[in-house]
Amino acid sequence: MMDVGRHPRIKLLTNSEVENVTGFVGNFQVSVRKKTRYIDEDACTACSECEVVCPVVVPDEYQEGFSSRKAIYIPFPQAVPSSYVLDMDNCLGTNPIACGKCADACDKDCIDYDMEDEHFDLEVGTITLATGMQPYDPTEMDEYGYTRFENVITSMEFERLICAGGPVEGHFVRPTDRKTPKSVAFIQCVGSRSVNRGVPYCSNICCMNTVKDTLLLQDHYPDLQSKVFYMDIRSFGKGFEDLYRRSKEVGVQYIRGLPGNIEEDPVTQNLYLTAENTLTGKVTTHEVDMVVLAVGLVPRQDSELIRQMLTLSPTSDGFVMEAHPKLKPVDAPTRGVYFAGCVEAPKDIKDSVTQASAAVARANILLNAGEVKIEAITSVIHEEECNYCGRCVRVCPFHAITPANKKAGLYPKVVEAACSGCGTCAAECTTDCISMRHFEDAQYYAQVDAILAEDPMEKIVAFACNWCSYAGGDNAGTSRLQYPHNVRLVRTMCSGRVDEDFIMHAFRKGAPLVLVSGCHFSDCHYIDAVTWTQQRIEKTWDKLEKMGIRPERLQLEWISAAEGQKFARVMRELEELRRRVTKEEVDNTMRILSNGFKTATKKAATKRVAAVIS
Amino acid sequence: MSESAYFKCLRCAHEYVGEYTPKAVEEKTCPKCGSNSVRRLKSPPAEKAAG
Repeated sequence: MMDVGRHPRIKLLTNSEVENVTGFVGNFQVSVRKKTRYIDEDACTACSECEVVCPVVVPDEYQEGFSSRKAIYIPFPQAVPSSYVLDMDNCLGTNPIACGKCADACDKDCIDYDMEDEHFDLEVGTITLATGMQPYDPTEMDEYGYTRFENVITSMEFERLICAGGPVEGHFVRPTDRKTPKSVAFIQCVGSRSVNRGVPYCSNICCMNTVKDTLLLQDHYPDLQSKVFYMDIRSFGKGFEDLYRRSKEVGVQYIRGLPGNIEEDPVTQNLYLTAENTLTGKVTTHEVDMVVLAVGLVPRQDSELIRQMLTLSPTSDGFVMEAHPKLKPVDAPTRGVYFAGCVEAPKDIKDSVTQASAAVARANILLNAGEVKIEAITSVIHEEECNYCGRCVRVCPFHAITPANKKAGLYPKVVEAACSGCGTCAAECTTDCISMRHFEDAQYYAQVDAILAEDPMEKIVAFACNWCSYAGGDNAGTSRLQYPHNVRLVRTMCSGRVDEDFIMHAFRKGAPLVLVSGCHFSDCHYIDAVTWTQQRIEKTWDKLEKMGIRPERLQLEWISAAEGQKFARVMRELEELRRRVTKEEVDNTMRILSNGFKTATKKAATKRVAAVIS
Repeated sequence: MSESAYFKCLRCAHEYVGEYTPKAVEEKTCPKCGSNSVRRLKSPPAEKAAG
């Protein structure tokens, strides 16, 4: 932190908030609000004269409330810049001045009660997101008595108590009597790996953090008895198994089973934990002086806003999703944005540093190149057919289309550097004035025509997205899984590209069954494009029903690249459905749809492609 | 706020009552066959005649 603060080419903006981000890779505009400290940070020498005279005392958040601070304070000892900040929520008041002792005490006149927030814009080429995480609040797990029993603390609170710079200068004491405990119990997976309460995922760091804590305790207090209640100890990683073994060698007792209940002795404030040791099958009660809850990690609640600004998609866990879990693990789907640390998933310091280094290296590749290579697959708006409806602007997951302004005669415009080529705009366009390079409407019509040219009654037309469903088909193939041979896949970059017209065209050409398949919502390569697919399919089902066509003939399925088994199973199920579709039904559908349904659209798209080719 | 709604699986024809949140687009899965071809019905499914 100190190095970063001193670095000549790094501008460190502390106590600041990003208010808005616009632009695209290489050309981001970031609006920042630098909150006022009410202190001239360049003039302040951190002499602490102001703090000494401040009469307000509040709990110190950094010390987890175990000690207090003043209303004018330095947030933590290593804070950069090393300058005081005035906590205006707790100050006695500056307008009119109710106290003013800090200003009187400051020889350098650093304190300015009229100081206001600064707003400024930055132009940057890339953005690295490192908004971190927050620990799980175990209050809802009432059986552990957190907040009811003072001697039940969290692992974060333990860190402050055992830290030499903490409220008790590293002399570990229990809160009720300020005496060094004789026995401490650690409970693992508090809030983690729980579907009903907390979060379903493993928080990654808690096991090794507890192992480290037990070693620290044994090192400081060799006579102290530590007990660890756990489900599994996950000590993967370099040197971690050694640490775990050392912890057991120094006498830490590991009990496989989580306590169901904690009771407190009202006289001694000792705690009684009842747990079943699942290795022996015995239920035993353990008396300890203190309990440490190894709480899990959850996404920061205030990261939602920045996620929306950068058009990032959340995973089902609430962290942000990377562009590709294996090949682009530090890249966001939005080009020019990178991740470092726990914003992407819970991880320890080593992994965070590794990821941060990777993110910076990725950003440097872009910045040093000075130019950006973009995908050739982007959308094109044909202005002459646009009616300024603005739908394309609303549906674009990457905010890559600039808004239209009919009065000013401004058509929507695609920012090609920001467009990722999902094709949702083309599928949603009400006038079909948007085409996709390399994935033109006419190409899809031609593929459907070719599929249904012979024996259409025997075919299943399946639109599959490039990243998941199509790859799921590959997975099924390479796994030698059997599925019906009459399924014909039409590859789209995203299921969001599947225009209702493509589906209707397939039915018009005699398809008994059509499948639209894409990524699971949490896997969508194009942020939330898949949600538009679902909405479009739901509308198409309604439309089919109104036209007298069974909606069952249009199927929808989310299949990931790893779900080869599911791909094969779904194809077998679809074959069963196809066999139930009669020739009369298909003929009737063809008759209904031949009565002028959107033929003009198809002609326009074909004409456009012909013009491009010529 | 979520509310109860009728759903029909277009794969296995299973009809059921589930939670539905207006304006929230969520992945739907049939509780019987696991298919994602689940359609929200705007009215309750017709009662089937006994016998």
